[in-house]
Amino acid sequence: MIRTGITGLDEMLGSGIPRGTRAVFSLEPGVEGRLFMYRTIATVLTDKKKILIIAPHSSGKAFCSEFPGLLELVDPVRAGDVVILDSRARDSINFQEKKLQSRKKAWKTLIQETIDTHAIDVVFVYFDLLYEDLGLDGALGVLPSTHQKKKITTVVEHLNLEGDSLIARFASGKHFDLIISVHSAFTLVPFFNFFTLEYVSWSEMPRRSIPYSTGNRSVSLYIPKIIIMGPASSGKSTFVSNASERGISVDRGDPDGSRTTVAMDLGWLHFRGFDITIFGTPGQPRFDPILPQLVKNAMGIILIIDATRPDSLIRARELLTLPHAAKLPLIVAVNKSDLPHQMDEVMIRESLRLRDDVPVFFISSLKRSDVHFVIETMVDRITRHPY
Amino acid sequence: MYTYVTGISLIDQVKEGIPPGSNILILAPSMSSGELLGYALAKPRTGEYALILTTVKRAVDLLDYFSHEQFDRKHTGIIDSVTKLSTPDIVDNTQVTFVSSPSDLTGIGIKFSSMVESIFNGEFADADDALFPPPVRFYIDSLTTLLMYRKLEVLYQFLHVITAKLKKMEAVGIYILNNESFDEKTLSLMKQLMNVVIEVKTEQHGEFLRIRGVIGISQEWMPFRIQQGNLELMA
Repeated sequence: MIRTGITGLDEMLGSGIPRGTRAVFSLEPGVEGRLFMYRTIATVLTDKKKILIIAPHSSGKAFCSEFPGLLELVDPVRAGDVVILDSRARDSINFQEKKLQSRKKAWKTLIQETIDTHAIDVVFVYFDLLYEDLGLDGALGVLPSTHQKKKITTVVEHLNLEGDSLIARFASGKHFDLIISVHSAFTLVPFFNFFTLEYVSWSEMPRRSIPYSTGNRSVSLYIPKIIIMGPASSGKSTFVSNASERGISVDRGDPDGSRTTVAMDLGWLHFRGFDITIFGTPGQPRFDPILPQLVKNAMGIILIIDATRPDSLIRARELLTLPHAAKLPLIVAVNKSDLPHQMDEVMIRESLRLRDDVPVFFISSLKRSDVHFVIETMVDRITRHPY
Repeated sequence: MYTYVTGISLIDQVKEGIPPGSNILILAPSMSSGELLGYALAKPRTGEYALILTTVKRAVDLLDYFSHEQFDRKHTGIIDSVTKLSTPDIVDNTQVTFVSSPSDLTGIGIKFSSMVESIFNGEFADADDALFPPPVRFYIDSLTTLLMYRKLEVLYQFLHVITAKLKKMEAVGIYILNNESFDEKTLSLMKQLMNVVIEVKTEQHGEFLRIRGVIGISQEWMPFRIQQGNLELMA
């Protein structure tokens, strides 16, 4: 396996990219997606593997200078752990070989000889100019074969100016074992980036999209909104508070001394490589008009119900009829199950008319381990959900 | 709706400028003032920003030029695809970023997006008179170089994406192309992405420009000169 160094992504892939396979990061123009390749290079080097970088768009020195703060490439280059075929290799081939076939042959020979001479484990390819010079099939043809005696892993980055049709071509032709497309949602400005796992040959995995942010030369996956909803006093605020590393709650004291959420609870946590924001909604029916806005753009819903209050199931059912809710991953967390109660799973499923694939967990929001188990399951469902 | 003053009196007097989302192509022969005309059009007015992609001059030389020509440097960002070829270790700052070469369209796209983001987030320069969306003039100097590094079809696809983004941002794009170096097919494909074409020619007694694509203004050749970074029509 080689790791991408992006924790959440490596987890989703089953700890990384298997040896001897081909992966591609397909970048939409303008999106900060280069860090996927940079991080993978840095991680592979840290794991003491020998690498070849094919970067025809850049001089070797300029390429190395892209890494400050992430990795010092100059020393591994000097030590022979990193070999770079840069713009000079391309210029030389294009100058000496005038015919397409002979250019392809020259690239193939050069790459294979470099792999053999330097005992290369992983090849990183900046694909655009190879594609332009050799055509798509020609450029794919010069990548290391997956049938070599020594299993070479190949990781490709390219700028996708052709959109979904090129991704479909990569997938249908089985040219890559892993296809990740990287996008930005662009309104007036790019307001968030996300990547889509388009295809994974070694695992049965539905197509899925995950937002990410970049900073400090790293890629952090994030889940911008998980909604915690449920009838009043079911324990939503406690759940948010125990799930979060930090958070705020907008509560108001009632005359009877109890507290009720009047706007929302907001919490943040870093979990299994994901930065997650959770929103706890108010449970009182008078706040229902704001719920559709809170649920909008959420990636998952955790419905909290009180195990000791079967009468609240009607209200819980009402909440599940919100627009958008039906299309999102859902988990039902039956809170206060450490107290005497009569509710069981069958009763809950029937009352709430739940689909079979919706999990029902009996928990106590006071226990962080219970809360984290629910969050972990939700992350798992979000990363597997075909949005 | 915001309109971009062009500095070309003919357009500004009749149309009060050009609308957001416009793309202006300057077709100019080598050794002409076409490139400077581009900078005159890209010059940011009060509350505006300029982003320059240079494939010809180093950022340091451009900054010198801006100082002499009273360009508002604080509101001008540069994506330099020249300097890294000779000085690989040079590092980005807020207003000047570098890509490894003009062939690196991925890097150019990323640097463009990140500068736009910092302008929209108000991180680019202090702007007491900030407008929203911030008006941005984006100048590619020049398409001629980009076409030497990348194939026509690839560059067309790339510009197609950029022009769509400029439209969403309500910005304007300015591009210069040497019309003596390319065939009719290339020129015609590039024109497809543009709203306005300004042709430049040099004759013994001066330089002339002709504007196509702005309804209601003369399409005759007019003498012009660039003075202190501004365009002056001589007629």
